[in-house]
Amino acid sequence: MPDWKRMVRERLAALKLEGAKESEVFDELAQHLEDRYEELIAAGISPADAERLAIEPLNTSPSLVEALSRARHPRKPEPPARPSHLANLLYDMRIALRGMRRKPAFSLMVVGMLALGIAGNAAIFSTFNSLFLKPLPFRDSARFIDLDETAPQWNLHYTGIAEPDLFAWREQNTTFDGMAFFNNLDANVSRMGPPRHVDGAKVSRDMLDVLGLKLVLGRNFTPEEDRPKGEKVVLLGYSLWQTLFSGDRGVLGRTLVLDNEPYKIVGVLPREAVFPDRAQLWVPLASKRDSDDGWYLAGIGRLKPGVTPLQAQADLTRIHKAMIAGGRSVNKITSPILTPLRERYLGDFRTTSQVLLVAVAVVLLIACVNIAALMLVRASSRAHEVAVRTAIGASRGRIVRQLLTETTMLALVGGIAGVMLGRLGLRAIVSLLPDTMPRWIDFQLDFRFAAFCMVATAASALLFGLFPALQASRTEVSGTLHVSARRATFSRAQKATLNVLVVSEIGLAMALLIASGLLVRAFQKVTHVDPGFRVENVLAFEADLDEHKYSKPEQCVAFYQNLLDQLRAVPGVAATGAATSPPLHGHWGQFFKAEDDPPPGPNEKRPVVLQVLVTPGYFDAIGMTVLAGRQFDDHDGTLKEHPVAMVSETFARQHWPNSSAIGKRIRYDYDPKGPWWEVVGVLRDEKHYGLDGEVRPAVYIPARQWTYPRTLMVVVHTTTNPQVVIGPARKILAAIDPDLPLYNVHTMSERLDRSLWARRAYSWLFGVFSLVALVLAAAGIYGVISYAVSQRTHEIGIRMAVGATPREVLAIVLRGGMALVGAGTAIGLAVALAAAGLLEKLLFGVSPRDPLVYGAVVLAVVGVGLLANAIPARRAASLDPVKALRTE
Amino acid sequence: MSIRLPDRELKKGSAELLVLSLVEDRARHGYEISKLIESRSEGMLKFNVASLYPLVYRLESRGWIQGKWVEKAGQRRRRYYRITAQGRKVLAAQRQGWKQFAEAVRRIAGVDYA
Repeated sequence: MPDWKRMVRERLAALKLEGAKESEVFDELAQHLEDRYEELIAAGISPADAERLAIEPLNTSPSLVEALSRARHPRKPEPPARPSHLANLLYDMRIALRGMRRKPAFSLMVVGMLALGIAGNAAIFSTFNSLFLKPLPFRDSARFIDLDETAPQWNLHYTGIAEPDLFAWREQNTTFDGMAFFNNLDANVSRMGPPRHVDGAKVSRDMLDVLGLKLVLGRNFTPEEDRPKGEKVVLLGYSLWQTLFSGDRGVLGRTLVLDNEPYKIVGVLPREAVFPDRAQLWVPLASKRDSDDGWYLAGIGRLKPGVTPLQAQADLTRIHKAMIAGGRSVNKITSPILTPLRERYLGDFRTTSQVLLVAVAVVLLIACVNIAALMLVRASSRAHEVAVRTAIGASRGRIVRQLLTETTMLALVGGIAGVMLGRLGLRAIVSLLPDTMPRWIDFQLDFRFAAFCMVATAASALLFGLFPALQASRTEVSGTLHVSARRATFSRAQKATLNVLVVSEIGLAMALLIASGLLVRAFQKVTHVDPGFRVENVLAFEADLDEHKYSKPEQCVAFYQNLLDQLRAVPGVAATGAATSPPLHGHWGQFFKAEDDPPPGPNEKRPVVLQVLVTPGYFDAIGMTVLAGRQFDDHDGTLKEHPVAMVSETFARQHWPNSSAIGKRIRYDYDPKGPWWEVVGVLRDEKHYGLDGEVRPAVYIPARQWTYPRTLMVVVHTTTNPQVVIGPARKILAAIDPDLPLYNVHTMSERLDRSLWARRAYSWLFGVFSLVALVLAAAGIYGVISYAVSQRTHEIGIRMAVGATPREVLAIVLRGGMALVGAGTAIGLAVALAAAGLLEKLLFGVSPRDPLVYGAVVLAVVGVGLLANAIPARRAASLDPVKALRTE
Repeated sequence: MSIRLPDRELKKGSAELLVLSLVEDRARHGYEISKLIESRSEGMLKFNVASLYPLVYRLESRGWIQGKWVEKAGQRRRRYYRITAQGRKVLAAQRQGWKQFAEAVRRIAGVDYA
């Protein structure tokens, strides 16, 4: 039997398949020849002829080797000739994933930059969304409107509502479905364990209807209960019901002791009763039609469907002004003012959050520009691939789609990472918010957030993906294919595009840095403002006397005197006193005239004056400076025939600009028969409304000179950490009156910190965003210049070969890079100069063109730009010319 | 060995159809396939070792048939080919194509084919 396998191998020696495959082919062919041979033998042919006949086809088939090797080396399957859209997409996605895996550093950079950009946007947008976009947790909350009165002549934007106006508005309006009025209530709950202070509200009985709430238990106030001298009843808030009564459904009819007075519990409010803010219980407002208590109520109205706030405003103004004819002449000065609820409580944050939104949008834009530049660079290194694909018939649209799929997938990953980061950011922002934020703000993420994130991600993908994709698809086929290097160079237009991207990126970062520099400087300026009072080592707290136990002024005097005396005896206490409104705590406005004031002109504004009642020792405790005259002593305020007052320097300057205030006399403007008070001292202004707040004139009077108020804030100046006084103070208070809780306990530095939270928060956030922008821009410069250097390796090699020194090469590269930085800086400066004016409101007197900030930012940007350029420039300078020339 | 066919191209075009049809119902080895083509065509069509294997390997690399070495007791090791799911689809399409082609030829040339 012939050795078929050897014969096959001899004839197919040129086949050269992979080992195992080749031997299988030889086996199979040898087997075939053997079968054929046996068949021929069986047909009676001689062995020699049979062998010749069997092997003959292998001898006479010249192209067999080629045919076999082609069949055994299958080409990769092409995508189907006319694939469906879905198949195309899946194919593109597979290619994109492969590309992402092949260039992990590139993919990570794109995803990282995008994540940073999206995260900032997600966090700030969700804050903005919660504050201004989400509906409030009430039925038809868009129809809610805040009611108040305004008196520009008194220099007061909001005065509060006077009771006579309340009745007129409520009864005569044609534009509201309902109106409710309320006032805050500080109440002590006693006889239920340790005494506790709760925030409550006095509300008119319409409140439930206006808010559209249903009670959990019981009933609303009756009209009789909501009248002066009506029965004392209370609606428990849901959380108070839970904490005090463990949610007992048998609570109706039981008694709650508020300020030592029994109130019958008639109902329990639902959890959704988050308005008035923080109120844990409601009692009837019981307003009087003919009250002359002044302007102190807050109001909320529900507009009739289809009525605009402007129509309602006109309606109430008509009613309000008609009351002048009925004898209420003060309504010449006051007018109703209607503000959408959210605007009233959150309006201050609108500018801030809008400015921040712009800032994060700019950061995202920079990230996109950066990514686009990266993509463009990457696309150039893929020009060969694109050219090959175009040459074998891919349409331009097909290639754009492929490149876009890649960017979309990158964007998707970046977007998801960004949203996750953004949620962390939101948590951080919420933790920065002060506890004075209305509780009805809900910071949960919602569909608006999801939609925003999707749109932001999609827009980014389009922005940074489409442009480079279009550029890449325009690659010239023949030119690119002829370039021997795998990496094709940029066309002039592509280079210009890249430069424009980098320049605009630097410009944007620059503008953002200047804005944040201005804000930080403003913040610095604010914190360096002299508050005019002592911040360190001061503790302040409240104790609210109820009007039953302490119905007579002498009782109140005795209580505070006793408390302050005992506190002074505590070791570590240096001084103590009490006042109605210490710095950063509330406002009580009055109008004063001085004896020698000229009569006011018809349109002259009479500014509102802050009135503060104080006990002896208060100015020492709070650390206010007496500029002239003297402080109150123990006798001041006790002599009816000789009332006294102290005034602030602003008050003194307004009334007696050219003479001393001491010995001058003042009295209430509205009370022509009232007594004159003698000014005995002038105090330095204190920043009562916060370090960045306005300064109003102030008048201080001895507390005893007034019908003694029941709520004073006690101020304790200590020689050490003020916190150590809290324990002793509680003990002293419990010994004097076990029914009184100590509350609102904070040091002055805590109060000051809180008063600055918003400014601190947005300055800080802005700073973070602008730093991110700077880092992104630096990465952009670095990437583009590095790329340019790598493209010019050959050229640099030639230059060095003909005698350029490394120093000259360094200079050439740096010059190119710094030209971009210079152009970006110029554009950034121009943008900043044009836009900084928008920030003016937030700048606390810092000029929007502050040269220090502009100078520092220019230095920083140029410095960072130099650094980003220096690395590739040094790399270029240290090139070995021989190697450089070898690179194609 | 001459090929007694009206047209070389015709054979080339039909070869895939023939092989696929033969492995449609059961797995067969290469020599068996070539013998079946010769016997069933009554000698009209012949494949030798040089013309068969490039074709078989091509069909296999396209994924239309699949080969597998099988050792049966008392027999030598042989490579058997069976049709794949994709091969079945191709076979169906090619059969349809041939039918239409033959019908067209019959109408024009008046040749009756069966």
